[in-house]
Amino acid sequence: MIRLLPWLYLAAAFAFIYLPVGALVLFSFQAGNLPVPPFNGPSTRWYADVLADDDLTGALANSLLVALGSSAVAVSLGFGAAYGLARHVLPGSALLRGLLIAPLTVSYLIVGLGLLIVLTRAGLGLSLWTAAIGHVVINLPLAFAILYASMGAQQVNAERAARDLGADEARVVLLVTVPMLMPAIAAAFFLSVTLSWDEFIIAFLLTRFDVTLPVEIWSMLRSGLSPRLNAIGSLVFLVSVTAVVILETLVFRKRRP
Amino acid sequence: MTARAERMRGWGFVAPALIWTLAFFVVPFLVMGAMSLATLEGRTLVWGVSLANYAELTEKAYLWRAILVSLEITLTVTVVSVLLAYPLASIIAFRVPPRWQRLALLLAILPFWTSYVVRSYAWLLVLAREGVVNQALLGLGLLSEPVTLANTRFATVTGFVHFFVMLLTLTIYANLIQLSPNYRRAATDLGASAFQTFCHVTLPLALPGIVTGAFLTFVLCIGDYVTPQILGGNTELTVPQVIMVQLGRRADFPLASALAIVLMGIVTLAYLASARWLRLDRL
Amino acid sequence: MTRLPALLLSSAAATALTGAAHAQELNALVWCDHTDPALIEPFEAAHGVKVNLREYEGTGAALALLEQSRPGDWDVLVIDGIDVFRAVEAGILAPLDPADLPTGDFFPEVVMAENNSVDGVTYAVTEKFGYNTISYNAAKVDPADMENLATVWSEKYDGRISIYDYYLPVMGLAAMAEGIATADIGPDDLETIGGVLSTMRARAASVAGVVAAQTALATGEVDIVVGGGEWLTAVLAGEQPDLTWTIPEQGAVRWAQSIGVVAGSENPDLALEFVKYIVSPEGQARLATSSCFWGMPANAKAGDFLSEDQKAILRWDSQPDYLARSQLYPAPDADLDIEMQDLWLETLQQ
Repeated sequence: MIRLLPWLYLAAAFAFIYLPVGALVLFSFQAGNLPVPPFNGPSTRWYADVLADDDLTGALANSLLVALGSSAVAVSLGFGAAYGLARHVLPGSALLRGLLIAPLTVSYLIVGLGLLIVLTRAGLGLSLWTAAIGHVVINLPLAFAILYASMGAQQVNAERAARDLGADEARVVLLVTVPMLMPAIAAAFFLSVTLSWDEFIIAFLLTRFDVTLPVEIWSMLRSGLSPRLNAIGSLVFLVSVTAVVILETLVFRKRRP
Repeated sequence: MTARAERMRGWGFVAPALIWTLAFFVVPFLVMGAMSLATLEGRTLVWGVSLANYAELTEKAYLWRAILVSLEITLTVTVVSVLLAYPLASIIAFRVPPRWQRLALLLAILPFWTSYVVRSYAWLLVLAREGVVNQALLGLGLLSEPVTLANTRFATVTGFVHFFVMLLTLTIYANLIQLSPNYRRAATDLGASAFQTFCHVTLPLALPGIVTGAFLTFVLCIGDYVTPQILGGNTELTVPQVIMVQLGRRADFPLASALAIVLMGIVTLAYLASARWLRLDRL
Repeated sequence: MTRLPALLLSSAAATALTGAAHAQELNALVWCDHTDPALIEPFEAAHGVKVNLREYEGTGAALALLEQSRPGDWDVLVIDGIDVFRAVEAGILAPLDPADLPTGDFFPEVVMAENNSVDGVTYAVTEKFGYNTISYNAAKVDPADMENLATVWSEKYDGRISIYDYYLPVMGLAAMAEGIATADIGPDDLETIGGVLSTMRARAASVAGVVAAQTALATGEVDIVVGGGEWLTAVLAGEQPDLTWTIPEQGAVRWAQSIGVVAGSENPDLALEFVKYIVSPEGQARLATSSCFWGMPANAKAGDFLSEDQKAILRWDSQPDYLARSQLYPAPDADLDIEMQDLWLETLQQ
């Protein structure tokens, strides 16, 4: 019995973790207008409905644009900072590291509120750009932390060898450091994309007409109970999970001993 | 290469990230601090150095109660999530055969990628009186009539715990898997019971992972608007909810800023309390 | 993995390009019922323009947003009928020519000239109205009890009630329960109103926004929504006919939303066309049955464009009686407004 206990716990934990997802997906196939028991499906009408909704597909495209763009910027900036701090002796580097990590300890709501105040005071209009700026702020510390932690001694030797062979700094970085750190860069970029693509409060505060998917879902949520929400939620889950599984098999499998 | 040139080159790499952080994080934060000292007269913003907003936080019951509610919910969520996630991470790390571990971990955190807004909404459906939980308990004869679970603090906490158990399982697992099994083996060889091994060997070594995860849980939980807004039934408001009310209904930026600063203060205290074990740069 | 993003990006690029192809864009700050494509697309097609829509939550926030925007940023504003004067005071709305507006066809009670004009100049026009009253599940409660506010939030329904999360209508209902006319609410009445709110809150299982209230009713979480009405239950009516609403003895609160052209608009003519479209019979019928929430059209001629079923759900034929028994939203001045909001939040957090 005692030996079974861990497995029972594992089963219970998985049941808890998958309970809302299961309910979400099940009632996305509801035939009726309300996503509550009894289940009267299966029907794919809500998927057809969601895919035909231009606002939603537009928001989905916006979300991807913001996620890919802001993550590219965040990872580039994070890489630069990590390389600079790992390879060069700079005064006050502990302080710099702290400053770069700091946004990680601040609630997204506060990051968004601060930017909202400054942007409106500066008379700058809100748009997808401003939301992307906010997403870089929250993803930069993560990208920096991941990349800084992965800059070890083995790359230093390779970099030195390249330099001895006459490569200039740009070539060293692009042809030696970046390829060697590719798994970490990919991980940082990917994490950044998933966080940005699903981020709500900053995008909510900092966008105007063109909104990202979570904001669009939020306004759907405020305006009527419907299995459409289940359908769009299930689709988002499907896309994210596919990305996670592909990344897991392509990127991380290689690092296995 | 001189030390000076070398330093300049280093700055060149760090500068873009630094400027970005200064311009879009530090400056907004300072402006928000200044905003919290301004006041709103009618709809006109009056800059100045006034503590009126902070005074309001102590005078108006709904404001200081929001701070209490936020603290209670966040602490409950943090403790419950750690207590639930540790066994899960430990089972995956020590009981599940190594070749299945990555799969088990992936499965444990997969729902992390459901849309954040939708996840809370899904819990609303699960916890409803006619939802899955009530129907199951009724069907099993454990209940004679449905109980109210949705739109309560219980629902908010459940939604949060669901999310953070996944996060914590990940951070704790990452920490546990790095521990050499030799430590535990040595403890057992020296005659320690399983419980003693846990208390004196595994737990102290796992503490950085636990505290880092708990701190992240605390920060993300106390600043979250969506989960309590959807699940909490609005019968008690958290600080982020009150901030959004100030913004959405009144555009009272000064009071919202003061609340945000208080939120920051609480997070800073939490940081100081856990700083000894925090490994934020090793996530 | 590579094809889906590429597909989406190209569709984003396509929407950006088609967006650019529109000669003109109209920027409207609205309530969620105006975001229904069925309402907006006919106008876009007829005029070859793009309408950008942004929803907002409270009048205070909308006014602040408009004041902080650059002139010309916004063209059209949808606003609570009782708040039109605040927008006019802030210099946000441009005058309208009454001759452009078909107010002669309106239900006379909702023309609300005194609300939509200041010093004899018209700035906005009523577009939609409805009631904040009692929605309930007829299968679970005794409909007779719903005819008196005192029995609605009596002990009998303890824990079976949800309160609609908007302070003005619910405080209006609370005032009416105590025999205070909504138009007369002053600072001295807040104690009385607060007492009623406390009772209500003590009986309530939740305080809920539109969807939360709908979910709560549909899932049996609660059986009564105080502050509900046709806008809450109309979209549920098809599937759950037991969900209904009534106006109790004491009466109900009437909400009304107005639309106007923003001062400084770069497209004043197009903005006026949009306003005219919204108050035209066709536009009114579409607005009345918008996907976000239903409500009565201000223009009675919209009836020609509504089906009998739609009219039944809107209770078209009962309107004369309902209009007579309802009172307009409370319209507090800025100071009283803040006091009322504070009282509301205090009550929520008890």
